[in-house]
Amino acid sequence: MPTVVLLDSSLSMTRPVSVEGSEEFQRKNLAVHGLTMLFEHMATNYRLEFTSLVAFSSLWELLVPFSRDYNTLQEALNNLEDYDKTCLEAALQGVSNVVQQEWGTSCPCQVVLVTDGALGIGRGSLRHSLQTVKQRVDDKKFPLPFPFPSKLYVMCIANAEELQATDSMDNLEQLINLNGGEGQIYTMEGPLCLKSVQSMFGKLIDQAYSPFHAVLRCGNLTSDVQVFPRPEPVTIDEEVDPIPKTVQTEGDEIGTGATDDTEEETSTNQMAGKSPNFCVLLHGSLKVEGMVALVQLGPDWFGMLYSQADSKKKSNLMMSLFDPGSEPLPWLGRMSQLGPASDAAENPYGEDDSKSPFPIQPKHKRSYAQNVTVWIKASGLQTDVQKILRNAKKLPEKTQTFYKELNRLRKAALAFGFWELLKSVAELLERECTLLPDSAHPDAAFQLSHAAQQLKLASSGDSKYAVFEQNITPMLTDFSGGGGADRI
Amino acid sequence: MLTTFSRAGLANVTPAIYLKCLFYFPQSLCRRTGLRMFSVSHKTAFVVDHCPYMAESSRQLIECDMLTKSRSQGVIPLAPVSKSLWTCAIECSMEYCRILFDVYPTWKLVNYIVSDSEVHILNSWKQEDQNTHELMAALAAVGPPNPRQDPECCSVLHGLVAAVESLCKITEYQHESRTTLMDTADRVANRGRIICLTNAKSDTHVRMLEDCVLETIQEQNKRAAGSDRLMPIQQCELVLVHIYPQGEETLVSDRQKKEVLSSMLSSEVHSVRAGRYLASKLNVLVQQHFDLASTTITNIPMKEEQHANTSANYDVELLHHRDAHMEFIKSGDLHMAGSTSRDSGLKETVTLKWCTPRTNSVELHYCTGAYRISPVDVNSRPSSCLTNFLLNGRSVLLEQPRKSGSKVISHMLSSHGGEIFLHVLNSTRSTLEDPPSISEGCGGRVTDYRITDFGEFMRENRLTPFPDSMIDAAGRTPVERAKSQLERYTRYWPMIISQTTIFNMQAVVPLANLIVKDTLTDEDVLTCQKTVYNLVDMERKSDPLPISTVGSRGKGPKRDEQYRIMWNELETLVKAHVGTSERHQRVLECISACRSKPPEEEERKKRGRKREDKEDKTEKNGKDTEEKGWTTDSERLKGVMEREKDEQSECEIIKDSPDSPEPLNKKPRLATEEQQPPEKSKGPVSLLTLWTNRITQANSRKHQEFAGRLSSVNNKAELYQHLKEENGMDVHENGKATR
Repeated sequence: MPTVVLLDSSLSMTRPVSVEGSEEFQRKNLAVHGLTMLFEHMATNYRLEFTSLVAFSSLWELLVPFSRDYNTLQEALNNLEDYDKTCLEAALQGVSNVVQQEWGTSCPCQVVLVTDGALGIGRGSLRHSLQTVKQRVDDKKFPLPFPFPSKLYVMCIANAEELQATDSMDNLEQLINLNGGEGQIYTMEGPLCLKSVQSMFGKLIDQAYSPFHAVLRCGNLTSDVQVFPRPEPVTIDEEVDPIPKTVQTEGDEIGTGATDDTEEETSTNQMAGKSPNFCVLLHGSLKVEGMVALVQLGPDWFGMLYSQADSKKKSNLMMSLFDPGSEPLPWLGRMSQLGPASDAAENPYGEDDSKSPFPIQPKHKRSYAQNVTVWIKASGLQTDVQKILRNAKKLPEKTQTFYKELNRLRKAALAFGFWELLKSVAELLERECTLLPDSAHPDAAFQLSHAAQQLKLASSGDSKYAVFEQNITPMLTDFSGGGGADRI
Repeated sequence: MLTTFSRAGLANVTPAIYLKCLFYFPQSLCRRTGLRMFSVSHKTAFVVDHCPYMAESSRQLIECDMLTKSRSQGVIPLAPVSKSLWTCAIECSMEYCRILFDVYPTWKLVNYIVSDSEVHILNSWKQEDQNTHELMAALAAVGPPNPRQDPECCSVLHGLVAAVESLCKITEYQHESRTTLMDTADRVANRGRIICLTNAKSDTHVRMLEDCVLETIQEQNKRAAGSDRLMPIQQCELVLVHIYPQGEETLVSDRQKKEVLSSMLSSEVHSVRAGRYLASKLNVLVQQHFDLASTTITNIPMKEEQHANTSANYDVELLHHRDAHMEFIKSGDLHMAGSTSRDSGLKETVTLKWCTPRTNSVELHYCTGAYRISPVDVNSRPSSCLTNFLLNGRSVLLEQPRKSGSKVISHMLSSHGGEIFLHVLNSTRSTLEDPPSISEGCGGRVTDYRITDFGEFMRENRLTPFPDSMIDAAGRTPVERAKSQLERYTRYWPMIISQTTIFNMQAVVPLANLIVKDTLTDEDVLTCQKTVYNLVDMERKSDPLPISTVGSRGKGPKRDEQYRIMWNELETLVKAHVGTSERHQRVLECISACRSKPPEEEERKKRGRKREDKEDKTEKNGKDTEEKGWTTDSERLKGVMEREKDEQSECEIIKDSPDSPEPLNKKPRLATEEQQPPEKSKGPVSLLTLWTNRITQANSRKHQEFAGRLSSVNNKAELYQHLKEENGMDVHENGKATR
């Protein structure tokens, strides 16, 4: 989940904090200190996370575009300048643009707003923005909620009492509410000092940036893993099951850490690289075999593991999560019903690996996979009538197709209560019979008049002749013998 | 293959291990279709008016005698046919159901009711009743309305009452959820929609119908409160569609905005002319009711039958869940993406361009969602060409037309198991770009993983679907059986080639394949025993074993030592399964009985060798380690190790430790020694020691060579030649005698 750090660089951030010691800090210094701590944590535990830095006052500026280079971020932080007043709305709009340009609207992002809680005065202040939030025209909408899934964390370089003295806290809370409640406000406890800013950012790190450690298990083969990015809880149904599902957290203990950890510190990394790891084995085999492994993440929650290579041929183990539920992929069927292939009476993959039990076919074919009849457009009906007439001209060679098309039309006409059509087609067939050339096979005339008669009977609604499942069968004639289609 | 994945307590994780072991986590593959399972769209009751007035003609004429032009002049063309109001209502409602069942094969249920002087309920809420074929058959049995029936006793009211009663009936899904939720069963809601297709007399008539529905709901809710199989209706949407013939003025005013009649009931009225107006109205309704959106695939090249050399371009419109357009909707790109109003209604469609598939490669795209589709014009030629193409296993990438001219692939059409899905592809920058290679992580530098063997293992553990009733004697579901099979199969499974001997031996395969099984037959036991006998035979013939020789420059361990290692490993494997059954036990017994040396003899020999060792060590310290180093068992080995340590300290400098991984054919065989013999109580020798041992040997080459080695034949030098000359065989005897 990429992060945007939105740092208040208005003049009020340069206010000194009263400390008893000799050193004098500005609020800005505290903010920089906290962010440094965050960046250090990311550089160690979240090296693959993209972070960008935006500074704002009355204007906003993208100081560092999304990057994994935490040195650059740190440098920009250290060279921060001071500007004029706080104008949050424009800055949030800026964040929204920056994120959408880079990641589109489907990628979840975290926005960390660092401010002293002095949210401006008059036009452009947060108070003013919030008061006018309902009177906006379409193109000047308030940037929250962000169009992408987001969490907004507000880090206040101020303590709660200070914020509650003004309406700052209320305004910030309103801001979180506008973002669909997605986010949190952090304030400093006790005096404004390095220690309390550390503890505040520590809380943020625990909440939003704790690495996700897990154990991957395949029978007795195991491996400790870190999952990146961290899987977030999912709500399946706000009504029936309002508690968000999390990836299984119960301490399912297994003997981990079996590698020699008696080695010296310095060689630890090398040893880790050199002692066999199940992930590498699994990845290698998945890659060679072109297979994926199902992975269970909790009750009724599954995903899959596979090898994914990038353009540079570097490959790694990738995990995709399915929707929580018992049947996340319809073509796999119910997950709980997947069992070992060796239990099946016959190898479902075939002796020579030529078959597969997947995909599971649905019980009923979809409309496009069966020959459905739709006459909503006149052309649909005309095409079906023409098909019958075309085959009628080629009787008796096309006897089977002729009756197949005829019966399809008959079924639909009966279902739609469209008896008039049956009569009309019967007349067409009778006329076709009279127009037969002298050279025509005698069977053609018999079949045409037989079909016409049967359609007429069906159109009478007589329960004997209008049964839906009953088909009109070719008339057995002296000529037809074993069936018209067999003859040339 | 099934693996489980659970989160571990943090305390259990050693930081060195997961440092680079990362998984990547693209968004979920299939997205849900809404946050409420039991929304209004869970149940749809269709009520179609079957009264005599519905037999009236829609007055939309269809020419079905199209061939007159090419015919002889004298033929009088047949009069065009026209559909009745009833026929129009039926085919449009069937189209509604067709789209619904295509996009939502489960969870969204239809109950179809026909009303005249009585009520005909054509199906139930059961999932198996949810298909158009069954409905068509039932409709054929009802037939068109009888114009001669007494209009006084016919009314659509009967149907509306039945629809309300039916909405109170619990569906399988509601029942299942209520059963699983137990105490919180009241979270399962009961909502529904009634779509009534009728020909109303006036606005007052419409009002009367609405009032009747409201009253019935109140009445039925009271009844439902006291029943297990019924549920009170919390919310009901009534959609009245008034159908009138073309060319007539409507008697009912349109009221498309939902009007709230009570907390339970809202109502809307659509006044529509029969024929294609009705069809497009219901098409719009199905999209509104089920959150659908439309995509038009444009520029589909198709060969014409008449002109096989040229191809014309066609468009096909598809419906699907609107989440497939989420990216367009959110970014406000909907209009930019070529969205236009189509003739099929007032709705919008997003145009995406066909990209001719180049290869048929099975590629895993970065897909963020997959949604079922239904073609709007299902049996038109372009539609069926496209769907057949996809059903035959091909995929089509779809391009988003952009003004700037840059090409962005945003979607993909592909089928799985006879169903076509519109896949949403990630077209923006991915947060997963440039991931590190797995070889940079933990265990990434090890080169002799048993990749092929694990591939075979995975194939043996592949999953297959079992019927719902398949629960074994122990009450385990198939997935639980799969997990327990994995557990059995991995009880002894060395991950790298140099850790194992038996899995590198073809001769062991029959036993290794059988012993992991849950149950063994007598025949299986026999096969295992044969394998053991075969191994005994091999040992007798002194066949070479695939034991690694890395770390020693000579041939590696002696033959009898090799077999001892092999037998130990085989015992380890079988012991891991000995508890499974009595027959497994018999296999172990067979090995114990057959394996090369009875323990006593072994013991004696051991001690004898130990003596030799000591003499070796004292007399020719540091000399020809590789000759003797691996010839005896653990205690001897220990001695060697000690000596090696001495050597090591003497050599002191361990210079270059090469960074490059060892080639596969030069694996550190010593690991086998180190890991296998279970009786080695002194703890394993670390890889580092083994490595330094090797380096030491390499370095020793830089020293002046020993006299013995210089005079050796085949790298073998006879030792104690002087003693032999003096005492003959005494040394050996002495060795024994001292004991």
